[in-house]
Amino acid sequence: MIRLENVTKVYKGDVTALREVTAEIQRGEFVFLVGQSGSGKSTFLRLLNREEVPDSGKIWVSGKDLSKLRSWSVPHFRRSMGCVFQDYKLLHKKTVFENVAFALEVIGQSRPVIRKNVPAILDLVGLTQKAERFPNQLSGGEQQRVSIARAFANRPEIMLADEPTGNLDPSTSVGIMKLLDLINRRGTTVIMATHDRSIVDSMQRRVIELDRGVVVRDESRGIYD
Amino acid sequence: MYRLWYYFRETFSSIWRNLSLTMAAIFTVAISLALVGASLLVREGAERATAQFQEGVEFIVFMNADAAEDQDLAIREVLDNSPVIASYNYIDQEDAYEEFRNLFADKPDLINSVSPSVMPPSYRIVPSDPSAANVSELADQFASQPGVKEVATATEAIRQIDDFSTRVSQALLVAAVVLVAVSALLILNTVFTAIGARRQEIEVMKLVGATNWFIRIPFMLEGTIHGLLGAALAIPALFIVDKQVLAFFQESDAVPLFRGFAVPEGFVWDTSIWLLLIGGTVGMLGSAVAVTRYLDV
Repeated sequence: MIRLENVTKVYKGDVTALREVTAEIQRGEFVFLVGQSGSGKSTFLRLLNREEVPDSGKIWVSGKDLSKLRSWSVPHFRRSMGCVFQDYKLLHKKTVFENVAFALEVIGQSRPVIRKNVPAILDLVGLTQKAERFPNQLSGGEQQRVSIARAFANRPEIMLADEPTGNLDPSTSVGIMKLLDLINRRGTTVIMATHDRSIVDSMQRRVIELDRGVVVRDESRGIYD
Repeated sequence: MYRLWYYFRETFSSIWRNLSLTMAAIFTVAISLALVGASLLVREGAERATAQFQEGVEFIVFMNADAAEDQDLAIREVLDNSPVIASYNYIDQEDAYEEFRNLFADKPDLINSVSPSVMPPSYRIVPSDPSAANVSELADQFASQPGVKEVATATEAIRQIDDFSTRVSQALLVAAVVLVAVSALLILNTVFTAIGARRQEIEVMKLVGATNWFIRIPFMLEGTIHGLLGAALAIPALFIVDKQVLAFFQESDAVPLFRGFAVPEGFVWDTSIWLLLIGGTVGMLGSAVAVTRYLDV
């Protein structure tokens, strides 16, 4: 499903974010990317949704060679992926419902489809009661649920999560992880960058550890270290 | 259908959010396009005025009011026999007086001060070669004949009106071009501000896979609407120029030639369509530059 082959990414100023990274991720897997800040976790994710392009090496996602992807087809490519971030990236002038609906609207979904799907997704993330609230009326955990709902709205094959629990307390984080686990069980491949040790240890899923841009560990049922 | 509604809604909410800058852009477009239009009208008017003149007569040999009959006959003989004269029309003292009375109908004192006997009779002459050089050469020849008071050529007047209108329309055009550039920049800036106000939304749109054109179109629509609304405001100004300024020249007695200073029926409407096209294009280009430079999609 996802394959990286000798991928190297160097940022301006000779900062090497990833060096000769090779990895393969199967459909339906749940993968933790761990490592210290600056180890290249975010770059790994940004390469997968083609926000960045590698300086050398090859990346395949869903059978597509990303180096051959034309820039005009990148938006369509991204529709097969959901992204979740530490800072949620919600629109504060829109309600919970509108935030999720917006993601469908801007990829050209019709209003009937939106009216049918958004309530179902809000039900999945447990926010049906709060559909008409605005993001600043919600707790951090609830905001992250909205963000996950938005990422999942288009039923993506792959979900990329960059420190989704980074701003949340441990008990709220557990709820978010349960939600991501639920999404994974519905068939979506989940790749999550984190340095939350207790989450990684309790989930017992595949762990890829990066250290200064190099894969130093790849275990199928791993713990944080 | 949903998409059209989306574009419409986004565009107008953005205009509403950014109203003062939008108004500035629209008014700048309006003023610059009004100048473009005025310059087109003046140019067309001048072309008409001088064209009318060229079709017709116009060099005029004025005889002395007390010219002897043989002097008059000598002129007439030259006119009748010369191969370079296509035709001519004799205005006698009675005709001249009549014309004078018509011209100064609102000034009875002036009319009372003259009588047919003091009016100079004249020959209005159509030369077979109406070029300026030829006319002035002929005029010189007639001016030196006995009994001739003076020779008025149209070329001088034509040159004056040409000069005048060329200068006016050029000055207007230069000002207009500068202002059109200014309004394009202002539209660019307005759209840039609109993009800034929606930076978060744009980020999310890119994230979830909205296409580049889907993101661009509301902004380009916004710029195009600035241009079109500005042009729409400039159109009444065109009618004012036509009805007031050009009409003022037409009614003025000071320079009789200016009476031909008019644009044909429908010209103002044609010009209006041009203004809408120019306005829309300027708006679209301004916003296209803003979108490609600042949108990063």
